[in-house]
Amino acid sequence: MARLAALWKKEFLAISRDRHGLAALFIMPAVFILIMSLALANAFSGQQDATLGYAVLDLDGTALSKELDGSLGPLEMLEKRPPPANEEQAREQVLSGKIAFVAIIPEGFAKQIGTKQTPALRFLVDPAIPGMLRNGFCQYVEAKTIRVWLGHVLERLGQSAMLPGIRAVADQVGTPEVSVEAVGHAATAGALPSAVQQNVPAWLIFSMFFVVIPISAVFIGERQRGTLQRLRSQRVPFWLILAGKCLPYVLINQAQAIVMVAVGKWMVPLCGGDALVLPEGTAALTALWLVSLAVSIAAVGLALLIARIAHSIEQATIVGGVGNILMGALGGIMVPRFVMPATMQPWTRLSPMDWALEGFHQIMLRQGRIGDILFPVGALVCFGFATLALAVFLERRAHPT
Amino acid sequence: MIHVEGVRHRYRRDSAWALGGASLHIRRGTVHGLLGPNGAGKTTLISLLAGLFPVQEGHIHIDNQPLGNWRAQHPNAIALVPQGYAFYPTLTVAENLDFFAGVQGFSRRERAENCAKAMAFAQLDAVARQRAETLSGGLQRRLNLAIGLTGHPDILLLDEPTAGVDPQSRRFLLETVRQFAAEGHSVLYTSHYMEEIDAVCAEVSIIDHGKVLAAGPLDEVKHGKTLEQVFMELTHHSLRD
Repeated sequence: MARLAALWKKEFLAISRDRHGLAALFIMPAVFILIMSLALANAFSGQQDATLGYAVLDLDGTALSKELDGSLGPLEMLEKRPPPANEEQAREQVLSGKIAFVAIIPEGFAKQIGTKQTPALRFLVDPAIPGMLRNGFCQYVEAKTIRVWLGHVLERLGQSAMLPGIRAVADQVGTPEVSVEAVGHAATAGALPSAVQQNVPAWLIFSMFFVVIPISAVFIGERQRGTLQRLRSQRVPFWLILAGKCLPYVLINQAQAIVMVAVGKWMVPLCGGDALVLPEGTAALTALWLVSLAVSIAAVGLALLIARIAHSIEQATIVGGVGNILMGALGGIMVPRFVMPATMQPWTRLSPMDWALEGFHQIMLRQGRIGDILFPVGALVCFGFATLALAVFLERRAHPT
Repeated sequence: MIHVEGVRHRYRRDSAWALGGASLHIRRGTVHGLLGPNGAGKTTLISLLAGLFPVQEGHIHIDNQPLGNWRAQHPNAIALVPQGYAFYPTLTVAENLDFFAGVQGFSRRERAENCAKAMAFAQLDAVARQRAETLSGGLQRRLNLAIGLTGHPDILLLDEPTAGVDPQSRRFLLETVRQFAAEGHSVLYTSHYMEEIDAVCAEVSIIDHGKVLAAGPLDEVKHGKTLEQVFMELTHHSLRD
């Protein structure tokens, strides 16, 4: 135990004097959380500031086309701009990025009523606008067009069938009230998760796995200077050297978790974002800590394996850094899993960051209990111990004494 | 005291023998010089004595006991001082000494005593609170040596302990090694500097291609010539990797 205590003390001293490593572990993710929570605040809340614009170019100029134009109002993400003079000007405005969409009501639009032709609409779109938003706008205009058309068809029908008032009935067709509820286990469930609620776990996981950088810097430095050789000659077993690194870095990971939660809870609101809401109750907080601990075990195990395999600090930094980015991309940290194509979604399960995100979401978004995190926690702990065992195996193969 | 007999070692099954049947004897209370060109097998032999690799062929005995058995009884009795600065640059001199004494399993009191002795022996008291990375090359070499002394070793394995230091520091290090041996301990000293071996060693072994080419008391090996002449005659003039 005295030997392990000496190893722990040395590791804490070495880490506390590595200012750059500490900055990478604490400041980088804190800034990430701050920026991403504020940048994506509206995307997650659904209350988007209207920063994009659209216009309607009415080439038909009939009462019907004017009625359609009038029915298209400002949207959450799109404000309605004055119409362009002609199609050429519309194209220029889209091309220059001044407006995102132009809905063109073609000439002869009104005459198509009563014929078997469906209304022909054209859209000019900025290719830089995401497909989801483009589809949403097109569907909005289509729905309004159908409503205006239906009104006119019913009016004609009413006139021919001598049924006065049928148009008034059509006018009463409005937009249904929609209520959205987030489903969770606890009584507090119901509120939709904010950006900070989504971003804190994601970037916390990402930063915890970045422990590979300081671990490999210390470990490979030890090897290159001959310190590991000296420790081996002093009959310090390799597993003990690894154990001497595990506790300090697991504690650093836990400190990261506390700092990132504090950033989400107090710093993001100071900058105008929503505050992070932690689950209530000892059981929920314990479950949250268990997930955090499991992520640490996985991150430290992987970091020690990479440090054992890499021949230089540069190699470890590249393998560890790029590996983390790939795990983050695959594991839903950078791109949420639901956005990925169905064929790719099962692959996210290969990334430990996906297991970690699943664990945090169970507790922080779905107000789950300890039973709900058994799979992610178990998978992370097994992964951590498997990577540690592999590191010890490789060392024993290289140095059989 | 230390008997190395017909030791062969290779790093991989398909690689050439780094040591091809080396034998040498190191007496108690002496500094034994180990000379050889680059790649001769010096570091491999030191690593085997330090217990970094198992003995594949041949025997290493200390006090008539196999190396493994002897080390099990005297876990801290062999200290390796590697060629590199094998310590933690961001830790202070005192913290480094305390750490290396700590991993050898000493109690707090023993640690404090051993560190104080090692620090005094290498005259590092004045820089005890200074970070190792801020020390001069000579002081770093002294720290490297002092760490080796924290376990009260009986056998000291020095791998080019004076590389890159000024003449004053070299003289101090050589004197320290001589003093350590005079207390009844054994030292295996590798170096490329013939004058160092001449100055500090009572016995010498010249090794090349994994075999000991000459061994014995320094004067016998020199046989009226300079050590460099003997060395060049035995190892030839061709350049080594």
